[in-house]
Amino acid sequence: MSKIKKKRLGFVLDMTPLVDITFLLLTFFMFTAKFKSDAENQQKFEIKRPQTQSDTAKIPEKDLVMIKIAVDTVAKDTAFYLSMVAEQDIAELRSRMKEGGFPEVDEKSIVYKIKDTVWLGKAIFYCRDANRNAVFAIDADRRLKYRWVEQAMNELRKKKATTFNFVTEKKNGGL
Amino acid sequence: MAGGGELGGGQKQRRGKAGKRKAKKRLGFRLDMTPLVDITFLLLTFFMLTTSMITPQTMEMSVPPEIDTPIEVKQSELLTIRIRQDGMVFYNTGVDAPQRFAAPSRSKNGSADYKKTLAEIKKVVVDQNVALKNRCIVVLKADGEAPYGLVVQVLDELNSAESEIIDRLKREHGINERKRKFTVSPYVAKDAEELMGL
Repeated sequence: MSKIKKKRLGFVLDMTPLVDITFLLLTFFMFTAKFKSDAENQQKFEIKRPQTQSDTAKIPEKDLVMIKIAVDTVAKDTAFYLSMVAEQDIAELRSRMKEGGFPEVDEKSIVYKIKDTVWLGKAIFYCRDANRNAVFAIDADRRLKYRWVEQAMNELRKKKATTFNFVTEKKNGGL
Repeated sequence: MAGGGELGGGQKQRRGKAGKRKAKKRLGFRLDMTPLVDITFLLLTFFMLTTSMITPQTMEMSVPPEIDTPIEVKQSELLTIRIRQDGMVFYNTGVDAPQRFAAPSRSKNGSADYKKTLAEIKKVVVDQNVALKNRCIVVLKADGEAPYGLVVQVLDELNSAESEIIDRLKREHGINERKRKFTVSPYVAKDAEELMGL
């Protein structure tokens, strides 16, 4: 034994950059995170959107009327699910639907499950009445029969909403 | 941060006040950052895992308003694309016999892959539009039983064909404006009859 080794007590690593980056990322994810809306919370289905190429536009947030067409996982029936986004529009639409005598409407209704085209037409009319700048978007499952979408398109056309959007998903990896 | 910050100020003053007692010089202070960092990492992981970065896109559609008087078009200027209930796509110009586009291939996960079909559709649409110098009308008819996803894919293909059409019209015919696009019209019993057994 030539030399007594000095015992190392521990070592200090500067964590500052690590923590800085972590905070930065945390802030980024916190701000970009989008939480489910009330309307999405109520739905009992999952939509697999049709895939398109990347040259499509982003969905408009304001004045949006979403018409979802999907198969309910519990009841196994296909229906139209109509909802509006803005707080004011939701209230306006609710009172109109109530006046119109839509079944299953209460104080908390946000999404309207519509099974026939007559009511869909009426609901579209109420939406346009509630908000003059209403923009319609059809969000349907890609495995669905085209008939459903065709019916929705016809109703929109009848109510003079001739421009609307299809909600799609960006195809990954090009064509 | 984990090393802690230093309290620099206030030392000189104290030295002046308490003149008799020699104040022990404070070198700095350490704050245990471990819990903070733990929580931060936890939150970071949570947000990273729950955020979905894919935002839905939209494809804008315009349909003509309901009109009572039908517009007459020449049969020869009409290019009809029809989607049969089983997902087969056909096309014909005017009153010609319908021709079939390539059938979809099965991809690994069992779903139908329309890559080839869509490429053919685009080619036919572009060629026909260029050949007829802007006077071609593409009509899309889809059976109610056909999958909606396919209809949107065809519409998307027609949309993306536009840029190529404009480009080729300009290059080959010197036409700078684009007038006609495409329309969607209902699939009637006659269409089903024509495509039967093809």
